[in-house]
Order: sequence, then C-alpha cells, then structure tokens
Amino acid sequence: MEPVITIKHLFKNYGAKQVLKDINLDVYPGQVIGYIGPNGAGKSTTVKILCGLLTDYEGEVTVKGLDLKKDTLEVKKVIGYVPELAELYDVLTPAEYLSFTGALYGIDENISSDRIIKLMSAFGLAPNIDQRMDSFSKGMRQKVLIASGLLHNPDILILDEPLSGLDANSVIIIKELISKLAKEGKTIFYCSHMMDVVEKVSDRIVLIDEGRVIANGTFEELKQQQGDKSLEQIFSYLTNKDSLSVTADELVKALES
Amino acid sequence: MNIINKFFLKLALLPVGLYKRMGVNIHQLKSILHTKLTMDDRRPNTLHQTQRRKNKPVSMATLGTMVMSALLGLIYLFAFSIGSNVITNLTIYFSLFFFMLSASLISDFTSVLIDVRDTFIILPKPVSDKTVVVARLLHIFIHICKMVLPMSLAGFVYITTHYGIAGSLFFLVMIAFVTSFAIFFINALYILILRITTPQKFQSIISYVQIIFAIAIYASYQVFPRMIGDANLGSLDISSKPLIILYPIYWFACCWNVLYYMAGSSNEIIAAVLGLVLPVLSLYFVVKYLAPTFNNKLAMISSSSSEQAAVVKKGQRRASYSDFLAKLFTSSAAEKMGFLFTWKMAARSRDFKLKVYPSIGYLAVYVVIMFMNSKTMSLDQVREEGTRGKVLIISALYFTSLLLTMAINQMIYSDKYKASWVYYVSPLQKPGEIIMGGAKAAIFKFYIPIVVFITLAGLSLVGPKILPNIILGLFNELLIATVVVYVSNKMFPFSVYQNTNVKAGSFLRSLFVLFISGLIAVGHFFIYSVIPVVLICAVLSVVATWMMMGSIKNTSWAAIKSRYAEE
Repeated sequence: MEPVITIKHLFKNYGAKQVLKDINLDVYPGQVIGYIGPNGAGKSTTVKILCGLLTDYEGEVTVKGLDLKKDTLEVKKVIGYVPELAELYDVLTPAEYLSFTGALYGIDENISSDRIIKLMSAFGLAPNIDQRMDSFSKGMRQKVLIASGLLHNPDILILDEPLSGLDANSVIIIKELISKLAKEGKTIFYCSHMMDVVEKVSDRIVLIDEGRVIANGTFEELKQQQGDKSLEQIFSYLTNKDSLSVTADELVKALES
Repeated sequence: MNIINKFFLKLALLPVGLYKRMGVNIHQLKSILHTKLTMDDRRPNTLHQTQRRKNKPVSMATLGTMVMSALLGLIYLFAFSIGSNVITNLTIYFSLFFFMLSASLISDFTSVLIDVRDTFIILPKPVSDKTVVVARLLHIFIHICKMVLPMSLAGFVYITTHYGIAGSLFFLVMIAFVTSFAIFFINALYILILRITTPQKFQSIISYVQIIFAIAIYASYQVFPRMIGDANLGSLDISSKPLIILYPIYWFACCWNVLYYMAGSSNEIIAAVLGLVLPVLSLYFVVKYLAPTFNNKLAMISSSSSEQAAVVKKGQRRASYSDFLAKLFTSSAAEKMGFLFTWKMAARSRDFKLKVYPSIGYLAVYVVIMFMNSKTMSLDQVREEGTRGKVLIISALYFTSLLLTMAINQMIYSDKYKASWVYYVSPLQKPGEIIMGGAKAAIFKFYIPIVVFITLAGLSLVGPKILPNIILGLFNELLIATVVVYVSNKMFPFSVYQNTNVKAGSFLRSLFVLFISGLIAVGHFFIYSVIPVVLICAVLSVVATWMMMGSIKNTSWAAIKSRYAEE
C-alpha cells in the first residue's frame, strides 16, 4: 500500500535554532498516528508544516503523492486541521463560522449547510447554532472547532489536543469517531500529552524528542522494546534524562523549609 | 450584515474580471470579505471604545462608526470660520481630518484589519496567497471608506455650496490624497516602531501612541475654541507664516486652491506641486516597501509571543522603589501584597494605562491652559498669598486629586478579572487589608508625586509657612479617596469586569466626588490665612483619614462576597 503521508529528511530552523532534525515518517491510509513528545520537542512545528502553514523547511514532504511545497493548496484541500488553542472568530455564530469554513474549502452551499446542521445536532449544539460563540464554554468551542475540521470530509485529519475542555461523554464520542473514521480509510494524526488516550486510540505511536524521532511503532512493539510498561512510563523513560522521582523529591523538600 | 456593508461588498467586488485575471478565487474572496464585514459589525470600534461592553451584543457597529465620523466631520467645519482665505481654512480642515483619521487607523490596523487569528483559521484552508492579500487590501479599503466618506460629507456639502461642482470635485481628490498620506504615515510609524522595538513591546508602544493622540485631540478641543475667541484669527493668513511651506497638509490646501483658481503665489504653486507628488510617492512607498514587510512583521507580533519567553538574567533580585515604599507604608503582609500587586499591575496593564494615562495628559493640558489664560497673574501674587495666589494653590491641591479618584475607580477593573479567584480561595483574615494596600499604591503612584511637586514649588515661592495648608489639602484629599474606597469600591484590585452600566454609575460617582471636593476646597479657601484653624482642621483630617483606613482594613469577607455574587 502507498503511504498517504511521506516525510523524508525533514529539517526546520528558527533562526539559529534547529527544531526538527531529520524527521522520517511514512503514514498509511486508515492509520491513527499518536504523535507525542515533551514540550518543545517539535510536535507543533511538524503539524504546522503538514498543514501548509510553514513552507520554509528542508527535506521532502508528500501528501497523497503531492509535494507539499509545490501543491500546497491541493494538499490543504484533503487535510482537516483542529488547532490546539481554540482559535475562532467568536463574534460569529457556529452556523456562520462553519459556512465560512465550508466556503473556503469550496463546498457547495447546500451540502455545507446540511452537514453543519447534522454535525451540530450530533454534538448536541443544535439549540446554539445561531448564538454568538463569545458566550460559549471551552467544550462548546472545541466541538465547533472539531466540526470545522470535519466539514469538508478530509482524507487526513490532524488533531492537536482535541479533547481539551470536553466532558467525559464527549471524550467517548470523539474517541469512537476517530476509530470509525480510521475504519473508513481516513488517516488521523493525533497529537496529545494525554498518554492514556494516545495509548488507546493510536495504531502507531511516534515519539519525538529534541527534533528527532526516538520511537516509532505500535504500542505492542514499544512494550516489547521497553518492557511491559504503560505508555506514560515508556514516554518518561525515553525522554527524561533526570529521574522524575528525584524531581518529585525536590518538590516535596522545597515545602519543608 | 446591513445594507451599508452589502453596498461596500458589492462595490469592492465590481472589478471581478481583474481579480480573476490576477488569479484570485472569487468565491473565497467574497466569503472572506463577507465574514470580516460581519465581524466588524459586531465589534465595538475605536471611536467609542471607552464606552463599550457587551450587555447586549453589538450588531450595528458599522453604522455607529459612520454616524460618529459624520458628526466629527461636522465639527471640522469650524475650520472654515478661521482665517481670511480658503487656503487657511482648508489647511486647518485637512489637518483635523488627517489627525482624526490617523488616530482611528492606528489602533484599527492591529485590532481589526490584521487579525492574528487568521493564521489558524484561514491559512490552513486551501486559499491562495493572492486571494488572502486581495481580501485583506479590500477589507482595509472598505474600512477606510467607511470612515472617510461620512467624515468628509459635511466638508463636501460646504465646498459644493460655496465653490460649486468643480470645487467639490477637487475637494474629493484632496480628501483621497490626505487619506493616502494618512495610510502612509501610519504604515511608516508601525515600521518605525517595529524597527526600534521587539514585536512583544509593539502593542504597548502603540497604546502609548494612542494615548498621545487622545491627549493631542483633547488639547486641540481646548485650544481651538479659545483661539476663535481671539479677534486676530479672522484675518489669519496661513500662507504668510514663514515655515508653513514645510507642512505637508498645507500642500494639499494649496493644491486645491491652485487647481480651483488656476493661480497662486510662487510659494503656493510650489506647495501645490508638492501636494500632487506626495500622495503618489507615499502610495508608491507603501506598496513597494512597506506593505510586503508590514504584514509579515505584524504576523510576528502574534507568533513571537508563543515562542519561548526570554530568559531573564539571573541574579539577586534587587529591592525596588516599590518594595521600599511598601515596606515603609504598609503594616501587614496582605496589605503589602495588595500594594505591590496594584503598583505593578497599574504599570503593566495596557487596559489600565489606556484608561488612566490619558486623563493625566488632560490634566496637564488643563493646567497649561489655566496658566495661559491667567496672563495677568504673576508669581508675585502666589508669593504674597493674595487671593489669586490662594485660589491657585488650592485648586492645584484639590484639582489634581481628580487623577487619584480616576485611578482608584479604575483600579478594581481588569480584563483578566477571572484571575481574581486567587483572592477568594486564600485564607485571609482581613481581606480589607489587600484593598487598603491597593488604594495606597494608587495614592503613591498618582497623587503623592503631584503633592511633592506642589510642595517644592510652594516652598520655593512662599516658604515654610505654606506647609500647614498643603498638609490640610493633602489629608482632605486622602480622606475623600478613602471614603470613596470605603463607600463604593470595596472590591479587590483588578478583580471586576467593566461593563457600561458600572461605567455610567462610576461617572456619576466621580461627579459627586468632584462636587464634595469642590465644597471642601471652598471651605479651605476661607480658613486659608488663619493658621491655627488650618492646623486644627489638618489634625482632624489626619485622624479621620486614619480611622477610614482602619475601617477599610477591617472590611470583612461578608461585605466583599455579597458584591462578588452580584457580578
């Protein structure tokens, strides 16, 4: 099977600082990739490159056989992006915002408004569809954001901490949604710090640290390599140079004086 | 979307063929503009920024802006009553136009026209760069039209009735010139600020520029009407002033004059030519040099803030001036904390600065005007403490306390009011101590420096015998300030969300405080020369202030929480 995303020798610098150092990755259709790493590891830079927000990188990134640098617009059409911070034009209503998104993706207006109503009802936001979002809770905004990433029925879905602010029921819905979309052959790129969720939803886990891929495989494979531990333990074992329990000791000691 | 926006959208989309040839996606262009204009309609604009807030959602902001602009344009008409010739009139008219336009554009460019959220919302979508750029330019064009057209309406009507169609046509051309010059001016200012500072500091520098603009406009409102009263103004001929040829706005006025009369002095003709060349040059500069870097740089304003915070140099934390004051003038840990917190927030919060600092400027302007008006008064009168001298000293003492009232009223409000949970979870015995600390910070930041200045001036002019009166004035003001805090502002510093209703209430309250202040000032005036009475009153005032401070410190949770629940 042809990979849907191919990343070869990807480097990226911010000035003198190198954030991505030779990232190589093949992602296949229907896979859920758990993309994890400590703060500042280069996760969001990778995501920004995949979304076509940063084009001044070195290396080769192809999506569905298209070169990301050359065919940026074509690539953007097949990607749905749910950014981490709830960035919304919050003086708009969900209906207005989503139909704006739909128009930018060039979806037919009738199809778009039909989908908007269905998506919003499914999320339980039907009564709020014509309310301005500045009064929305974090969870409600997150639902609108997820809907805006799904609206154009993308082949690749990039989710950056999609569960933040959602209640337990909504979390279950999103998790099921992810596995159903993957079954339909969609590719999901899932970035998160919540190891237990990543462990459950991902087919493959890619761990990066300081701009390099340091682990890449199914959770079972990782467990075989690192011993029978939870993803959380594997993560901290691979990315931490100092002992975490020493850090915790220091924290406790700081309170004693 | 209202009819005005629909009209402008249609207008902007007229050259569809041209856009298509440029490679712009018309469908996307239309929906971006439509969305942007809808959002503009719901956003409170700069002209009435001070009286905003959203108990009911803003939906007709565009109309509001346009009505405001039209009214402003009407005010500019008084320019035609000054001076002996039309060049003078137009120079003043165009100057007002230019400064008001720049003042609104300066904040709109960052807050409205270049929305940093675009990076996450529009850029990940399959929209070509050309479409984004054209959409942005058209949005800016529409936005400026919405201000410029109503603003120039009154002038246009005036010129048409006095100088006919030809005059009004030339007038419109000049308005376009002045506008393009204003855009150039703002662009250049932005680039300059970005060059000399980091993008992080950009926002706060822009707000200082806004403050300066606000003060300048206030000063011009104070000064111009007074100048009209001056008999000489009717015969003012601005062309006769020596260095006027260096003033770009004058060029536009000359340009109109030369075009209309087809005649003029050599200087006027030179100025007219410059006036024709300047807009072309400035537009060229904007398009060629400023615009390309401009957008990127503005994008940096948002992006760089998300990058890692600069590591502050390590080292011993030095005890600062505020630490010193706090140690000296606060008694408990909670009070000290309230003092330091308020001191720092007042210095760093953009919101607070935008509300309080302009009034410092207004006050300064007022003081200058007061001195200008009383030409007959000499320093000797102050020295002898004659009637006029007494009035001056007393008004200096009491009038400047307006600033203190302003600061104390504003101190409790913040955009980040939600962070005030930290007070409510703390096991404080006496929450009033924090409030007192905050009030003290406001007193030391906004009133004591003025009092020190007045004292020094008084000592050098009158000598030590002025001291009892200064002490009485100072403590009377402190008493009023503490009563204001006690009666109406029993809230933690920076813990309340400001909305219009509260604002209206606090305006009335300020008026009332001003009235009481005035009454006390009059009383003070009558006892001014009777030193023993002044001393007794001063002692009473000190005692009363002391007691008020005690009561504030003893404010219980019950008193604060009930108001918290109301919010």
